[in-house]
Amino acid sequence: MYLVANIETEICAATSCKLCTQYCPEANTILYDNAAGEDKGFKYGAAYVAVDRCKGCAQCVWVCDNMAKHNAIKMEMIDQIGETALTENVTYGEKTSSAVLANPVRGQM
Amino acid sequence: MSLDYVKFTPGFGKFMPKEYRDMVEHGPFGKKVSVSQVGTFKEILEEHPMCAGCAMTLFIRLAIVAFPNPEDTITVGTAGCGRLAISQAAIPFVYGNYGDQNGVASGLTRGLRLRFGDKPKDVVVMAGDGGMADIGFAQTLHSWFRKEKFTTIMLDNEVYGNTGGQESGMTNKNQVLKMAPLGKKFEKMDMLGMAKVSGCAYVATVVPNNPRRVESVIKKAVLVAREIGPSYIQAYTSCNIEYAIPTDKVMEDAKTVETDRYKFSEYITDEAKEYLSQLYGYKEYLPKPAAAVEKR
Repeated sequence: MYLVANIETEICAATSCKLCTQYCPEANTILYDNAAGEDKGFKYGAAYVAVDRCKGCAQCVWVCDNMAKHNAIKMEMIDQIGETALTENVTYGEKTSSAVLANPVRGQM
Repeated sequence: MSLDYVKFTPGFGKFMPKEYRDMVEHGPFGKKVSVSQVGTFKEILEEHPMCAGCAMTLFIRLAIVAFPNPEDTITVGTAGCGRLAISQAAIPFVYGNYGDQNGVASGLTRGLRLRFGDKPKDVVVMAGDGGMADIGFAQTLHSWFRKEKFTTIMLDNEVYGNTGGQESGMTNKNQVLKMAPLGKKFEKMDMLGMAKVSGCAYVATVVPNNPRRVESVIKKAVLVAREIGPSYIQAYTSCNIEYAIPTDKVMEDAKTVETDRYKFSEYITDEAKEYLSQLYGYKEYLPKPAAAVEKR
């Protein structure tokens, strides 16, 4: 098993700095959902990780902790992360994207 | 070389892979996108075999987002790490045999101008420090002296990272590497100085720890190369393998190096300033109003 980045939606949706989306070396990996915080009453959307693209470098963790100072991203084992975003479940819309969450090991049930 | 080449053949769209459909329907082709919007549209660059946490990958990703007209852009590269990512983008990539990239780009630029006339078709060379300052040095310099109108971007990781860590002309003096155990004996080559002397109209140094600055210099360099003359960007893109930088410290290293010896610099000729301000609205290059004469 290996580590991938996981973003805490509650912390991310309270700030909307979007730095991790800009600093990830992998394209189409850290994505942004404008509506992610809506149902929980947050002002902004939140970033999320398509974990099948994540190489586990943790650059986003450094950026979130040291540049943004939000501490919203943690590295977690792929089999312990729970339901998360996968590239095949990502949908792009008008200036946003969203994902149906699925188990990264088993896929969408 | 137009918006047409990214569209589906009628009736075939439903058979295309999801990622291709996303690219056509939600990619940046024909739209104006910026680095601050990444994550909300399908990027041109796709999965690639570059190392985890590679700063060069980040720079390439940002550079491709910054292309002013991706549907009218061709990239040219050569052997080295960078081409492993550049060739995985949904825009045409031409592989120049080792060191030939600026010669290939010269012919390509001229051919495109003959074929398409004034309609801008951008040629962007992205190659490493070895391919550009060592093996391709003559072709790089000559393309600048000939005032070939394309953009040259050096992905400067200060080492031959792809072949085990040999020193390049861009490695710093005294730097010890796996394949340079006694340390490099001479100074880092002044490619910026040579770019200015040989007539580049826009020259900049940049480090990818400031994505919006990367976007800004790439856009300016590509636009200047359309009409005014050659442009050159030298980007510090550390090799975290050969320089043993932990992947989560790559941006910290970039910040330190930028402060220490790779400060942002920009050189632009008066002609290029006038062109950018008049055609593309770059206010920072508008002539400053003359100071009012003080009455006595």
